[in-house]
Amino acid sequence: MKRFLIIILALAFILLLGACSKKAAKVEPVQGPAVETVDEPVAQVEKPVLSEEELFQQKSLEELNKDQVLKMIHFDFDMYSIREDMKPVMQANANWLLKFPSVEVLVEGHCDERGTIEYNIALGEKRAEAARNYLVSLGLSAAKVKIISYGKSKPLVTGVDEATYFQNRRAEFVITKK
Amino acid sequence: MKLSRTILILLAMLAFQPLRGQEEITIRIREGMPMIPVAMPAFQLNPEAQKSETAAVVYDTLWQDLEFSRVFKMVPREHYAYIPAFNPNAIRFKDWASIQANILVSGQLELTADDRVIFSFKVYEVTGERFIFGRNFGGKKDLARLIAHRAADEMLKHFGERPLFTSKIAYISEAGNDRDVYIMDFDGQRSTRITFSSALDMLPSWSADNEKILYTSYRNLSPELFMFHIYSGKTELISSGGSNYAADWSPAGDRIVYTSSKHGNAEIYLKDMKTGQEKRLTFNPAIDTSPCWSPNGREIAFTSQRGGTPQIYVMDAEGSNVRRITMEGGYHDSPAWSPDGMRLAFVSRIENRFDIYIFNLKSNEISKLTENAGRNENPTWSPDGRHLAFSSNRSGRYQIYLVDYDGRNVRQITSRGENKMPKWQRTTK
Repeated sequence: MKRFLIIILALAFILLLGACSKKAAKVEPVQGPAVETVDEPVAQVEKPVLSEEELFQQKSLEELNKDQVLKMIHFDFDMYSIREDMKPVMQANANWLLKFPSVEVLVEGHCDERGTIEYNIALGEKRAEAARNYLVSLGLSAAKVKIISYGKSKPLVTGVDEATYFQNRRAEFVITKK
Repeated sequence: MKLSRTILILLAMLAFQPLRGQEEITIRIREGMPMIPVAMPAFQLNPEAQKSETAAVVYDTLWQDLEFSRVFKMVPREHYAYIPAFNPNAIRFKDWASIQANILVSGQLELTADDRVIFSFKVYEVTGERFIFGRNFGGKKDLARLIAHRAADEMLKHFGERPLFTSKIAYISEAGNDRDVYIMDFDGQRSTRITFSSALDMLPSWSADNEKILYTSYRNLSPELFMFHIYSGKTELISSGGSNYAADWSPAGDRIVYTSSKHGNAEIYLKDMKTGQEKRLTFNPAIDTSPCWSPNGREIAFTSQRGGTPQIYVMDAEGSNVRRITMEGGYHDSPAWSPDGMRLAFVSRIENRFDIYIFNLKSNEISKLTENAGRNENPTWSPDGRHLAFSSNRSGRYQIYLVDYDGRNVRQITSRGENKMPKWQRTTK
């Protein structure tokens, strides 16, 4: 009898549990606090791209030269005439220089190592002179362009192939005053 | 180093004497005079000298000088063992004749308490069994090499040759990022730095009195010509404006020639060093450079590109009477006139090889001095004309080498860093 009672109670407990769980499933989800949108209007400003003039004003001589605003040109072996493919480079250099008439520039003439020291000083000078004359022909004031020759004493790269020699046969444009 | 016996005859060279164009040329190979065999037994030393290295320095230096001369030939020391030991008080000339010695040098060296060297030497003619001459030299111990060089020069003078062993070579050596002017003995020893600019210095050249050096420096950001007074330390600006370089002092010491582009183009200028007066010698839109005096001071050899490529020309010292020397080959420069006035050494580029050639002005023969070993540049003659110095990158970096007039006995005399642009004194002091 006692055992019967325990079974009944157990069954009743199980039923009760089942009724409870059914009841819990019906509970509505708890509503949290409302999401507050955080926003602000974008200021309608556009970061200005610095003009060439402004960049020029901003940069020091060293920075201008480091950034190679003026590009070097290269020459044929033993020659000092401006190559056809270097003329656009010269035009770009001239355009830049004409934009900034306060600029003074030093044209450095250099040679590859396949020449004697004495002759290469003269050859480097001829290259610098040819570059200066070309700039002047494009409208630059000759007074703004000075020249110097280093002959073969300051090679840009070292090596013993034509690509190296080509790199070293050059006129570099160094801005000396802005 | 093998003797470059190949004598290249460039027919076009006959332009120097155009009327001989059709004649046959005789090839004459200059063999030089037979060398005089010299024996030099060990020196007699005082007890102080026996304890020092100095005696060996003097002995070895004197030996090397005489061996270098091409006038004397040293009888090998091993041969001395075949005859009785040398006795300065009773010389057995027959013994020395038996080992083929013609000249016998007997030396005595003392080291004093105050570290001075006294070196006495006597020179004997073996076959005539007679004393020829002797000298005594004294000096500080650290000038032992110079004492030996003086003795070797006395040997040359006595045999009718021009002294050279006390001559010096000016050159350019790198010192950190700079290149500065240095001077050294002809054999590469005892070098001294003489310029200290923090810029590129180049192409040194001696004054006739060996007391001043002309050189080009970029210290003021353009290549200017300076004169440095070695023994007073004073520097003078000689020429500026454009590029100023490649100076050469006249043998008489009164004038210099150099290249300058002060009026726009590379031209050759002559400057009177007493009056300061300047005269332009070349008038050509092409490159004119590398002037060099003839030993009699009447002519100037130089390089000009007026014919399209750099070639060697000669003109009178007034700038007139220009004639072309080199005809073949596309690139010649750095002419150097031999002390006897007969030969021009210069650099030629042939198929991108730089070698030194010697052109004989009398016979119009060209001989090749260096043989396809690196780039060989800036030839300069010894005061006696039997040797040349030049720079070469045959062993990697540029170093200075000596070579005999016939291509024999090449030897490297510098090794630290990079050394180039040698210029030998025209005479010993």
